[in-house]
Amino acid sequence: MRPADEIENAVKKMSFKAGPKMDKDLWAETAKAQNELRKTMLAPGRRNIVRTIMRNPMTKLSGAAAVVIACLIGLSFWPGTESGIALADVLAQIEKASACRYQWSTWRTSEHGGKSIKSQAHNYTTLRSPKYGGKIEQLDPNVDPNSGMGTLTYCSIQEKAIFSIWPEQKKYSRINFDDAEQLTSLVQSQYEYYARGMVKEILRCKYESMGRSAIDGIEVEGFRTTDPNFVSQDKQHEPNQVDVKIWVDVKTRLPVRSEEHLTYDKEKKTVHFATHDYQWDIPVDATEFKPVIPDDYTLLGREAVKWPAITEEAAIQGLRQCVEFLGKYLETINLTSLYSAFEKSETPGALRLKEELRGLVGPEQDQRRMDVLKPMFVLNMFYVGLDGKDRAYYGKAVTSKDADKVLMRWKVSDGEYRVIFGDLHVETVAAERLTELEKALPK
Amino acid sequence: MIEDELLKWKFKSGSRDALQRIYEKYRDYLLTLAMALMNDAGLAEDVVHDVFVAFAQSSGTFKLRGNLKSYLATCVLNRCRDRIRARKRQPLSLDEDAPLQSEFGSPDRRIIADEQSRQVAYAMEQLPYEQREVIALHLNAAMKLRNIARLQNVSVSTIKGRYRYGLQKLRAALNGRL
Repeated sequence: MRPADEIENAVKKMSFKAGPKMDKDLWAETAKAQNELRKTMLAPGRRNIVRTIMRNPMTKLSGAAAVVIACLIGLSFWPGTESGIALADVLAQIEKASACRYQWSTWRTSEHGGKSIKSQAHNYTTLRSPKYGGKIEQLDPNVDPNSGMGTLTYCSIQEKAIFSIWPEQKKYSRINFDDAEQLTSLVQSQYEYYARGMVKEILRCKYESMGRSAIDGIEVEGFRTTDPNFVSQDKQHEPNQVDVKIWVDVKTRLPVRSEEHLTYDKEKKTVHFATHDYQWDIPVDATEFKPVIPDDYTLLGREAVKWPAITEEAAIQGLRQCVEFLGKYLETINLTSLYSAFEKSETPGALRLKEELRGLVGPEQDQRRMDVLKPMFVLNMFYVGLDGKDRAYYGKAVTSKDADKVLMRWKVSDGEYRVIFGDLHVETVAAERLTELEKALPK
Repeated sequence: MIEDELLKWKFKSGSRDALQRIYEKYRDYLLTLAMALMNDAGLAEDVVHDVFVAFAQSSGTFKLRGNLKSYLATCVLNRCRDRIRARKRQPLSLDEDAPLQSEFGSPDRRIIADEQSRQVAYAMEQLPYEQREVIALHLNAAMKLRNIARLQNVSVSTIKGRYRYGLQKLRAALNGRL
């Protein structure tokens, strides 16, 4: 065989195949594009009906009258806004539901040279149970799609512990909690966002029904908000535009899919989050939330980390660490904000830790970061636990020198609030006084 | 060929089954072509995604007298050219996405390939783009050299030269590895 033939054959034989996940994603997007085309091909016809009615002199008057009446009784002729489902009812159904499994993905699209470039999607599966805890499997593209998962996180209420497992490195970490109740509330708040949190937020905003359609053979009704008041998942950077959609099963009134698209004009990028493949009220037991760790896996660090009690004092300690490590309070309390502020910080403590972290890799790096920044992580957990207690935080406007300004507050009883001030002293104040104090905050 | 003609007709009339069959029939072929042209799993996936999405969106207006396989290959080629141009123009602007990529690793595990295919794709990536394109279109997409000349807007003899030099460089790059 000529050498050239050999090379030609090698190139001809070259073969790349889509893995199962990629195949599923590609086909889903392709089919979706065709579906959307069908909808847009149908839509002008629907609009034309209204247009025809309004153009015809005989029907114009009665048509206009019908629109007025429809508006008065709360109906609308605009396609896609008619709704058979009350979103508040959806929230009630979610709150009634027991264990739930769903998948979620996140990716970015950015504009480069007039072209839109999509990043690799990161995919996760979450299982949550109000009774037993939560579990997140990261479907890591680094790992052979046929053989396993990326990082796994278990929150086991029964074990009073959070486990993180890195199968590729054969390592795991364990954080023990004294108080199972604290872990329960953490699990509930951390795992709620994609359904309950999003619906609550949409209800707070101006939204519309997108009408009925089908997803995976399920009849659904969609709801959408582009209200700028929607508080997105990205609490650190405020997006210039939000586009949030959720589709609800018309029979069960439970979510089937949701999408959140956050556009940042300055960076010319859009961050996307999607949840899908929801399974509601599935039977689970405690064993699903307790990891089986193989004997050859090693524990990160010398022993399991003991997590401090998540108390007001611990939260104050976290706020103190913010000032020491970041030079100021966090602008918002969440992990994204914490990581971002730490990366930007140039305080001696932060620079020392960053230098130390550069010498570590993978799970060891994560573990060390968590060890040192533990008070700030506890602060995050404390704040998460205040959800539903009329909490507020003003780290953007308040400094450690502001002894008379409200830094954080939450309701403790009817008419009374607990307040942490800028200099970190704490008081219980009457609602009226809190109103006065908050009026004095810089806008 | 007859199957493709039928698929084109059914697809034009909005058939989901026809689209699915076209997708299943040409998915890996287009992916291989995109990998041969770019050797970047993430970009190859994006290109094939964009081609199929645009194709699916075209069903109402779709008109194609020629060969479906060549048409899809040309769509991949055009999008690969766009991506490569964009990458050349803005080599640093993707940095912002880099942490995501590095945090979760190379996306190529979503694509399955044997070691030899990866080596060949890597060797092809070392060729000048014009030579790589000729080799990929001729050997992976089974396109005739005169059609490639039309696509590259050069003479057939230039294409033959690019093909010959490209093969020589590939042989040197893959020497002893096949």
